[in-house]
Amino acid sequence: MTCEEFELAGLDLETLREDNAVLLAAREHLRVCPHCAALHENWQALRADLHAVGAETQEAEAPPRVEMRLRQEYRTRHKTVKARRVAVIAGWTLAAAAVVLVAVSWINWRNQVGPSTPAAAVATAKVGSTKPAGPELGETLVASNDTGEFTLLPGSLPGTLEDATVVRVQMQRGSLGALGLTVNEERASDLIQVDLLVGDDGQPQALRLAQNAN
Amino acid sequence: MHIEAQERDDVLLRRSAKGDEEAFTELYRRHQAPLYRFALRMSGNVWAAEEIVQDVFVTLIRDPKKFDPGRGALRSYLYGITRNRVMKHLERVPREWLHEEIDEDNASQAGPGFDVMTPAEWAELHERREQVRAAVLELPVEFREAVVLCGLEELSYEEAAQLLECPVGTIRSRLHRGRALLLAKLEMLRDTPKRAGANR
Repeated sequence: MTCEEFELAGLDLETLREDNAVLLAAREHLRVCPHCAALHENWQALRADLHAVGAETQEAEAPPRVEMRLRQEYRTRHKTVKARRVAVIAGWTLAAAAVVLVAVSWINWRNQVGPSTPAAAVATAKVGSTKPAGPELGETLVASNDTGEFTLLPGSLPGTLEDATVVRVQMQRGSLGALGLTVNEERASDLIQVDLLVGDDGQPQALRLAQNAN
Repeated sequence: MHIEAQERDDVLLRRSAKGDEEAFTELYRRHQAPLYRFALRMSGNVWAAEEIVQDVFVTLIRDPKKFDPGRGALRSYLYGITRNRVMKHLERVPREWLHEEIDEDNASQAGPGFDVMTPAEWAELHERREQVRAAVLELPVEFREAVVLCGLEELSYEEAAQLLECPVGTIRSRLHRGRALLLAKLEMLRDTPKRAGANR
């Protein structure tokens, strides 16, 4: 064994016990090399001193105040996290409640606005006034600018009148019976002008008698 | 919540992260002493060691998810943080002296036969230990770590390698060089008074 190999094996021969060949070689090297022998001897003395120095602090541990401070930090930290979680949950709950409130209010408003829909329908009719009415309605008529109450036909819903179009038609009074209205039989053959509110599906939803009707 | 003595560290850490203070306290009590000793022996300063240990556990409180059980034991992870804090401390304050709060009486009793020593022998022993402490603190950090863990804390090479996350061979060679440096420093320290006396 050379000095370098001895150095690599380590000064502490006790750690070489498992490797008997290296241990024997190291011992042999110590016998023949005064430099390594002196180093090894000094190391033995130093090891005892190191052991003693180590023993001085063997039982050392952090003072109790460190634990107290850490526990305080822990509590503060987790209280803050909890508070933050509660705040986030409360925030989302409030936001959800606000959305529900707005939705309910909007639906209520829509329901209230429903009966006056013809006004909107008239506006729609104005835009499409150049468009001829379907042939099944007979005469093509311009949309009415008249204000007045429409009467919902039986089976019609107010909500379906959003995009309805107003068409004025001339018909026999008796034809109103086909729309589900009561007709005076004596005047059933009279010609009358009627504003029909026609839905998207082309079916009349409501009607009113035109102001110049007989 | 009841805590079993053998409850695994990662389980305790998970509980601690969920707000179980008792689990955190158990973790702290399990690991603080070796970490404190390591910091104390590396820095030579009780205040620094205290601050470092506190820092390490504050990190654990603030960011427990940084620990990945798949990469190793919590002990190694905590040693890693402690080492980083020690390095930072040593960069700030490169070298400090002595363990200020070590009880001198207890310290001197750490060797055999202290009760039959003459005052001169006691003084010599005391001085020699002071020199050893000083020499350890003067070692370059990587050698100091190896000497502190294997020489003072008396861990096996394998344990030290695990904690320092390096191969056993590295520990062995660092330890060897550390010891050689330590011997050289001690020789120098012991020669200094003689040389000073010879110059007079």
